[in-house]
Amino acid sequence: MNSKLPSCLLLTFILVLTTSCSSDNAVFERHASIYRVGDQLEWAAKELNEEQWHRRPKLVPDGKVFWSRTKIDILKAPEPLHPYGIHLHVYGEYEVFWDGVLIGKNGNPGREEELGPAGKMWTTHSIPEHLTEEGTHVLAIRTSLYYFSNHLGIAELDINYYDDLLTDRLVSTSFMHILAGAFLIVSFYYFFLFLGDKKEYRTLIFSISCFLFFILIMTEFIKTYVPIHYALHRDRLEIIGILMFGISYLIPLYLSLEFPYPRKKLLLIIYAVVLLFIYLFQYDYFVFTARKMALTMWIFSLGIIVFGVYKKMRGALLVLMTLLLCVLIYFFTSYEVSLFAGFGLILLSILYLLSLRIKSQRLAYETSLVQSTRLKLELVKKNIQPHFLMNTLTSLIDWVEEAPRKGALFIEALAKEFDLINQMEDQTLIPIAQEIALCRTHLEIMKYRKEIDYIWEDEGIDPEQKIPPAILHTLLENGITHSLPLKGNRIRFKLIYESNEDFRSYTFLTFAKIVKRSSNKEEGTGLKYIKARLEESYKSNWELSSAPTDQGWKSVVKINQKAI
Amino acid sequence: MRILIVEDEARVAKRVERLTREIVGNDLKSLTHINTLQEALTFIEGNELDLVLLDLNLNGENGFDLLKTVVSESFHTIVISAYKDQAITAFEYGVLDFVPKPFNRDRLERAFNRSKTKEEPNAQTKYLAIKKRQRIKLVPVEEVNYIKGAGAYSELFLMDGAKELHDKSLEKLEQLLSPSFERIHKSYLVKMSEVREISVQSGSKYMAELQNGIMIPIGRTKYKDIRAKWF
Repeated sequence: MNSKLPSCLLLTFILVLTTSCSSDNAVFERHASIYRVGDQLEWAAKELNEEQWHRRPKLVPDGKVFWSRTKIDILKAPEPLHPYGIHLHVYGEYEVFWDGVLIGKNGNPGREEELGPAGKMWTTHSIPEHLTEEGTHVLAIRTSLYYFSNHLGIAELDINYYDDLLTDRLVSTSFMHILAGAFLIVSFYYFFLFLGDKKEYRTLIFSISCFLFFILIMTEFIKTYVPIHYALHRDRLEIIGILMFGISYLIPLYLSLEFPYPRKKLLLIIYAVVLLFIYLFQYDYFVFTARKMALTMWIFSLGIIVFGVYKKMRGALLVLMTLLLCVLIYFFTSYEVSLFAGFGLILLSILYLLSLRIKSQRLAYETSLVQSTRLKLELVKKNIQPHFLMNTLTSLIDWVEEAPRKGALFIEALAKEFDLINQMEDQTLIPIAQEIALCRTHLEIMKYRKEIDYIWEDEGIDPEQKIPPAILHTLLENGITHSLPLKGNRIRFKLIYESNEDFRSYTFLTFAKIVKRSSNKEEGTGLKYIKARLEESYKSNWELSSAPTDQGWKSVVKINQKAI
Repeated sequence: MRILIVEDEARVAKRVERLTREIVGNDLKSLTHINTLQEALTFIEGNELDLVLLDLNLNGENGFDLLKTVVSESFHTIVISAYKDQAITAFEYGVLDFVPKPFNRDRLERAFNRSKTKEEPNAQTKYLAIKKRQRIKLVPVEEVNYIKGAGAYSELFLMDGAKELHDKSLEKLEQLLSPSFERIHKSYLVKMSEVREISVQSGSKYMAELQNGIMIPIGRTKYKDIRAKWF
């Protein structure tokens, strides 16, 4: 039931992505391009002696004009009144000729230095209908590359119905923007969650990851509706590189927090260094850099998750499936699709992990509420549990019958203990002085019951300090229950307080003959109470030790200074 | 009477001791107070006793292990405890009485009286504890067919034909097992639900025939009462 919802979401997500990237059957076939530096308008002609034309040159410096000719076979003529168009992704400023006819102009080829940057990288031009009958045609492009003289060539070329060329890109862009918007909202939501609980770094990491992913999508698809000159293209790619770097680091960082493994810090540092190396030193060809970073992230994440699955950590299996699904998408679609689908899926699976976490936090909170109520009850019960109450009353009857004066004192001591317990009933921390008063009163009562000379001593007490209620009282009860008096019918208790930079500690000593416990298999309810109280007030920043000594028993409660 | 008090609360122990002296009076031969489980076990092993007054919670220990041991002995046990909820279990183990704390003289006296009379039938005993080489075996009362007195101790005849020895006398077992068990003869205590019929044999000898065919004699003096009560 739990895993159904996320998998449904994933499926929808994939559908959205794949439909936005589906392609129809091609209506054309492209042949290799040939080039010639120079500038003659005749070179646009359909028929031309191409002897002087060669394969792509490495570079054409100084913004000089050069031409490229590409033979294109139209496999299927367009429907009437429905012209084809051509979509180009070409560096430079250029004019486009189709069978010798000028069909489009992008910038000012040959006059870039003089007139400044103009035009954009992705252009779509319609082709006159009478020039697209089935058969071979010639695409000639007159280009100059003032800014990146070595980026010759046609990076992308598509021929289809002119209307479709325009709308398809808008459709896929709008889908991707919906996705981006979703991640933007999630990013804000988790950022607000983080503001509400600044210790929860996971929500912050996730929020930033989502935000970077949002910008990544925007940067990638902004080209559809904002003209970007080819001189700015590198800046755009650099932004994408930085975003990729960020996401590629944050996702494994998050996974490391969720699925901890040994030597986490060291491995994360090594990973950061590797990513940085890829980012800085392999920075020649952008797409490869991004690809390598994505791959590195995938491998590192996989390592973390496999360890998580091996350790049977909650949610690890889902993330593992997601990572494997990414590979599948990569093999069946393009790099671009798998990049966005992959990041999107991984972020979704993290979203699921976060929801699991919120659920477990809620449960923990509810448990803690129940726990404090239980502890409160246990404290109140101390004085009405049968062993204490009935033995006290039996002794009391005897005192009243035998020595009424003493009986009255006994009742006073009992009243005082009840009163002290009532006062601390609702507290989770009480002044140490109050706790000591409780212990002394309890000893007073026990003197009447057991007729043993109980002695209380304390040392180094700092009256400013607070501790959870009745924990020393519980140690004292244990001490009374499990010990027999020494010579002179005497049992001595001593409380020593010490503190240093790291710890505050209470050492509770019982000087007595300890009664052997026949069964030691389960921890007494007393110790459980103390541990639960310490946990309630100090989380896990405490230690409790309890062991026999030569002279009796020694219990030490250590509280980490940072918990106070 | 030789009495042992096992109690770790000094003042309570003193009270029990004082009240016991008052109740038992001149019949008291010895009265010992012990406040730990171990010492109590040692003392029971080495001394003849008639009654043990036992607190079930000694120094934070659960006294049921001790309870199993004491109920297998020849003497009666009265539990004095702060935990009323332990009463049912204690009775099932075959204690004579359970005195909840706090108690007064009357309540304690009533417990003592139970050891002398059978005025208050005790049908709650579910197990009879039997000493078997270093350990205690609990025999469910429902498996007991009849019991034969054998001097200071008794022989339990079980449904499956087995025979066990119990350290308690027939009188003491009768106090723990009545009214479902009836003393039909000075040497026999029989579970009445197992009696098929009563027959008269030559020489006006009365016999009870059990479900499994065993014939057990009925005391001449008891016959009338039993006839009136059961048939």
